[in-house]
Amino acid sequence: MRIELETLRRGSGRPILVLHGVNPVSPTAPFLDPLAKHGEVIAPSHPGFGASPMPADFETIYDLVNLYQDVIDDLPGDDVTLIGLGFGGWIAAEVAVTRPAKLSRLVLADPVGIKIGGREDRDIAHFFNSHPADLTKRAWHDPSKRPAGCYGLGWQAGIDDTMTDAEMVSLARNWDSLCLYSWTPHMYNPRLKPWLRRIAVPTLVLWGESDGIVTPDYGRAYAGLIPGATFETIHAAGHHPELEQPAAFADRVARFIGAGA
Amino acid sequence: MVSMELWNHCENPYPFVPAEVLDAADSVRASLPNKYCDPQTAARLYDEIWEEYRLCDDIGLHIVTNEHHSGINNLWAASPVITGIVASMTSKVRILTLGTLVTVRPDPVRVATEYATIDVISKGRLDIGFVKSGATEMVSGNANPMHIREREWEAIDLIEKSLTTHDGPFSWEGKFFTHPHVNVWPRPYQSPRPDFWAATSDLPTCAELGRRGFVNTLLFGGYERTRKAYDAYKQARVVAGLPKAGEDRFSYMAFCYVGDTDEEAMRIGQKIPWFLTVSIKSSPQFSKFQPGAVAPEMAPAAWRGGASKRPTDLSVASLIAQGQMFCGNPDTVAKQIKEFRQRVGGVGRIIMMTRQGLVTHAQAMKSFNLAAKEVLPQLQDLPAIDDSSIAVAAE
Repeated sequence: MRIELETLRRGSGRPILVLHGVNPVSPTAPFLDPLAKHGEVIAPSHPGFGASPMPADFETIYDLVNLYQDVIDDLPGDDVTLIGLGFGGWIAAEVAVTRPAKLSRLVLADPVGIKIGGREDRDIAHFFNSHPADLTKRAWHDPSKRPAGCYGLGWQAGIDDTMTDAEMVSLARNWDSLCLYSWTPHMYNPRLKPWLRRIAVPTLVLWGESDGIVTPDYGRAYAGLIPGATFETIHAAGHHPELEQPAAFADRVARFIGAGA
Repeated sequence: MVSMELWNHCENPYPFVPAEVLDAADSVRASLPNKYCDPQTAARLYDEIWEEYRLCDDIGLHIVTNEHHSGINNLWAASPVITGIVASMTSKVRILTLGTLVTVRPDPVRVATEYATIDVISKGRLDIGFVKSGATEMVSGNANPMHIREREWEAIDLIEKSLTTHDGPFSWEGKFFTHPHVNVWPRPYQSPRPDFWAATSDLPTCAELGRRGFVNTLLFGGYERTRKAYDAYKQARVVAGLPKAGEDRFSYMAFCYVGDTDEEAMRIGQKIPWFLTVSIKSSPQFSKFQPGAVAPEMAPAAWRGGASKRPTDLSVASLIAQGQMFCGNPDTVAKQIKEFRQRVGGVGRIIMMTRQGLVTHAQAMKSFNLAAKEVLPQLQDLPAIDDSSIAVAAE
């Protein structure tokens, strides 16, 4: 089975594989250029997102985890940094648990994917059942700082007459695919938490201080389950620190890559 | 000659939440707290509608139940429960469940068991209807809104096999449902099974209903959409080499009020569109932004300002003109229904939504009596409709 993935590439050198969150990484995303100074940024669109086709019967996180193990196996060299953003952080954590041979570093930025609190605690604001205005409030420190052409949670509130039909079709397709993968249990795998201890590479867990989708406390608990992981927060950022504070985000990742090299 | 049937569809709405609460709420379904539902008022509503159903059983109006959840539009939250009660309190008319929402039910075998039980209790008066559902129902039912049409068909197939297999247990390992040991007791009263209906105007789905011989019902489709849906059904049968479907395979639900005079009916009928004006208010995340709600290529049309399929003019006169309401004195209503039948190429089963919105119990009882005694006789022994153009089109 051959799976086509639309893939954004920037820079050269050791691979930095970026797994996106609710929407694919935009070519205009401001974190790309600073990050590309430290290796080749490779950012595929998940199947069903952007221009990546959705293979028949491809519909669970299990499919994505196996797919990205294949992707890592096919990357050049044996020094792969894996970065997962939000929903992509869940995938990245699952992939790291499987210990891919070429994986040497893991960065999780505001990942979802595990259950921390009690059965009546909502750890992860509901992506699909929440009002777009509520999502926007929770996901951004300052929504006005969203880079043009980049969409995170609450993207619905950004729809206006300046948006092209193609952008809307793409956002709708991304939203459908995200739902297919993650509706229930909403945005987590009940079996992931006990296996995070298997992650065997240096790990940096980054968190937007103002993230109201998954809070920094959730992030601290998440990082505490990964052996040796470092937890850091990014000031004046919400659920998408790579979009709200691209320089700080790239700087933290660069320092981590440098330290682990 | 064709004789039409009249069916009574009541959703048991709850129009008693203060307007200021409804105005302030993002959604009157799914997320409106149930502190606004007074159980004593709800109990009175159930009693009133049981009385309406007993009347229907006496005067020959068949009964439709359905279900919606967590909102002011519908207190039939569990269709099999309601349908079982109706089966027990009636003895003559047919009962259609339209239906329990199989896309939010995790085990279709349990649904088949509930329906088989009701069929036995009713001594074979049950018809089983399927609706795809969506929107707030996916939220209230915690069901993934993606791939629901595919999931619905697998649920229907499993329910059908559960109702028609009598030398089980059998095993089912499908894409959406697995059950290694299916063996439904009691078996249904009717053989091979209760008649199946489905509510849809989606043309490929209508064609599939045609191939399967289900009753195709449309809800408020108006003249044009209904005609196209029925034509798709008929053409699919021609292409498949199946015999022509009778008019009993086609059904249509419309708002309906029958009064002594046109003036009285129009006045009371104006209370019915509350269903559209108030009871379907829904937050954007439960409607246009719900995953799967619109195909991605249709998103721009659905999301840009002002896009709505809902009728904008909800006056009784406008709804009548669009074929979405039958309203007037008995002769007027009979004439409207006969004209609708002609224009859509034949329909045998009219479902009347009468006890809706702010229509009172007494007003509903009056309309049902007039419908059964003065409209229904005018819908018997009607000349067949020439729809031979369908066969030509399919060739």
